[in-house]
Amino acid sequence: MNGWMGKIVEIDLESGARKTIAVDDAMRRRYLGGRGLGVRLYCDVNSVPIDPLSGENVLIFMTGPLTGTMMTSGRYQIVSRSPLTGTICDSSSGGTFGAALKGAGFDGLVIKGRAAKPVYLAVHDGEVEVRDASAFWGFDTQQTQKAIQGEVGGKASVACIGPAGESQVFFAAVMNDKDRAAGRGGMGAVMGSKNLKAVAAAGGSPVNIADPAGYKDLASRIDRAVDKNPVTGKSLQVLGTSVLVNIINAHGMFPTENFRRGVFNDAEGTSGEKIAEALLLRQSACYKCPIGCGRTTRTKDRSGEGPEYETVWAFGANLGISDLTAIAEANYACNELGLDTITMGGTLGCAMELAQTGAWQAGPRWGDAGKLREWVTETAYRRGMGEELALGSKRLAAKYGRPDLAMQVKGMEIPAYDPRGAQGMALSYATSNRGGCHMRAYMIAPEILGHPVFLDRFSSAGKAELVALFQDVSAVVDSAVLCRFLQFALGISTFTEMLRVVTGLDFSDEELMTIGRRIYTLERQYNNRAGFGRADDTLPPRFFNEEFQTGSSRHRRVELDGMLDAYYAIRGWDADGRPLAKTLAELGL
Amino acid sequence: MAGAVAVKFYGLLRRSAGTAALEIEGDGLTVMALLRRAEEKTGKGFLEELLDRKQGLLTGTIILLNGENIRSRQGLETLIKTGDHVDLFSPAGGG
Repeated sequence: MNGWMGKIVEIDLESGARKTIAVDDAMRRRYLGGRGLGVRLYCDVNSVPIDPLSGENVLIFMTGPLTGTMMTSGRYQIVSRSPLTGTICDSSSGGTFGAALKGAGFDGLVIKGRAAKPVYLAVHDGEVEVRDASAFWGFDTQQTQKAIQGEVGGKASVACIGPAGESQVFFAAVMNDKDRAAGRGGMGAVMGSKNLKAVAAAGGSPVNIADPAGYKDLASRIDRAVDKNPVTGKSLQVLGTSVLVNIINAHGMFPTENFRRGVFNDAEGTSGEKIAEALLLRQSACYKCPIGCGRTTRTKDRSGEGPEYETVWAFGANLGISDLTAIAEANYACNELGLDTITMGGTLGCAMELAQTGAWQAGPRWGDAGKLREWVTETAYRRGMGEELALGSKRLAAKYGRPDLAMQVKGMEIPAYDPRGAQGMALSYATSNRGGCHMRAYMIAPEILGHPVFLDRFSSAGKAELVALFQDVSAVVDSAVLCRFLQFALGISTFTEMLRVVTGLDFSDEELMTIGRRIYTLERQYNNRAGFGRADDTLPPRFFNEEFQTGSSRHRRVELDGMLDAYYAIRGWDADGRPLAKTLAELGL
Repeated sequence: MAGAVAVKFYGLLRRSAGTAALEIEGDGLTVMALLRRAEEKTGKGFLEELLDRKQGLLTGTIILLNGENIRSRQGLETLIKTGDHVDLFSPAGGG
C-alpha cells in the first residue's frame, strides 16, 4: 500500500483487548486520514453523543497518507467529542509525532475504555504495549516526555498530558515533541479521563511512495515555492506568527480586554518584532519543515516555546497586560502543565470582566501580570481560583449570571481577531464545527492579509461561499495531514498532486473538494445529533450590539443572519442548519 | 512639520528601511510618490518588498492610509494629504 500504512488498531484500556479496525480502500479514498478518517471512525463507534469524559468515549490519534513524507508532514490529529464544547472535535499538533506513529507501523490508534491505573502506550514495530505510568502521574509534560523516553528510548516521540489533563480541565492540551500542542477542545482531559498519561511512538517503517520520480520532482518544486513566498520563505521564519500583532491592531480589531476595544495601546511592546528583539533564542521547526515558525525564547529566569500570536494576545491585550516576560512565562506554564493558551486567556478575560462588573467580586483584575503564572498553575490543578477558571468562559460566565460576557462560540473561546473587523471571519467563527476557532476557515487571509486575493473586510457579499470553500480545503489539509501554513504558498492543485504521487490514486481537485465537503457535513451531522443547530451558529451579543468608538473598525457590527442563510443554501442544509437528504445522498453519507 | 505625513514601518520592512517611523512632506502626493520619497529619505531600497516587478502591489502587501487599506481606494494612486498616517506592512501571515 502506498501512502497509508494500512493498519489502525483499537485498544480497550479497560479489558486490554485489541482489534484491528477494518478500513477498506474506498473509505480511505473518501476520508483520506487525519481529521476526516478520524471523525468517520469516531462516528462509527460513538454515533450517539455520550459523556466525553466517560469510558465509552473513544479517543483517536490519526495520521494521513502524506504523514511522514514531504515537508511539514510530522503532524497528527486527535479526534473525540470535546468536553469543552460537546461538539465533535479534532485537535492538530505539529512536531514529529505523526511521522513517528507511521514509522511504528500505524495510520492510527482508536482508544476506548478507562484503565484501572495510569498507563501509557508504547507503539513500535507494529505493536502496541500498554505500560504502567503510575510513576509518572503528576509529572508535567516535560518530565513525562523525558521519563518515558528513558524507558522506551530517546528517539521516541511522546504525546502526553500534564497535570491539567490529569485534573480533566475542560481545555487541557496534549503536548508532544517538547512544546508542540494539540491545544484546542480539551483532548488532554479525555486522555486524563482514561488514565492515559501518554502515547510514545518510534520506528523506521518507511511510507511507500507510488511514484518516486514524480515525488522527487514535486518535492523540489514545493521547496522552491515555499522558499520564494514572502510569508513562508521569510516573514514566518524571522518574526514568527506574532508579526500579526501590529497588523491586526492597525486594523482596529485586536481584541482588547475581553473584546471591549479593538486597539491595544501597548501592542508594539508585545509584537513579533519586539519578541525577536527581547526574547528570541532561535526559531524552531517541525518535521521536515523549512519554515520554522516556532519560537524558542527565554526570559531572565526561564526558557521555553512561544509566545505565538494567539498566546501573546490571549495573555496580553486580552487581559490588558503588556509585560512580555509575564506573557512568555504564562505560556511556558501552559506548555508544562498542558493547557490550551487560547481558552486559558479567553477565560481569564471573561473572569476579569466579571470582576469589573461586580458579578464576580473575587475575580481577577485587568492588567495583573504578576498573578498570571499563578492563575495558570491553579487552573491546571483545579485549586483556589483555578477551580472556577477550569470551567472555561461559558460555564464561568453562566455561573455568575452574565453569559453574555463569555467570548465563545459553542463553548470554545474566540481567538485573536475581533469579528466586527472582518465579516467573513464572523461567519467562520459562527459555523465552525468545533466552536470559536480561526482554523476552520481562516478568512483573515483574504480579508486582512490579501491572500490569495484582497476582499473588502466589512462587506458580507460573497463571504458565505468563500467560508464554505475554505472550510472544505482546510478539512482536506487536516486529513492529508499537512501544516496549514503551506496554504500561503500552495493551492489545492498542489495538494492534489501530492496525494497523487504518494498514493498513486488519480485524485482530482474536484474530488478533494468533495472530500472536504463530506468531512465538514459529517461533522455537522454529529453536531446536529448532539443538539446543535442554527441557534448555536451565532456569536456573543457584544458583536451584534456594541461598536468600537476608536480605531479603524469603529462603528461596525456583525451582520450574520444574511450570511448564515446564504451559507446554509450553499452547503445544502435546511434553515436550521441540518444537511438535507439530497446533500447527504450526494456525499454518500 | 508643515505638510507632514506620518509613515510607519512594520515587520521585516522595519529592518530593511532601518527605521520604525518617518515624517515626510507628502501633501498632494500619491501613495506611490510617497513611497519613493520615503525610500530616498531612508537611503534604503525597501520598495521591492512591497511592489512586484511591474510596480504593482505584491500579493500580501498591506498599506493602510489612516487605517484603511489603499486597495479599497485607488491603490498606489490614492492621494495623501497633510496629517495623514500611513502604515506599511510587507507580506506576512500567521494564525
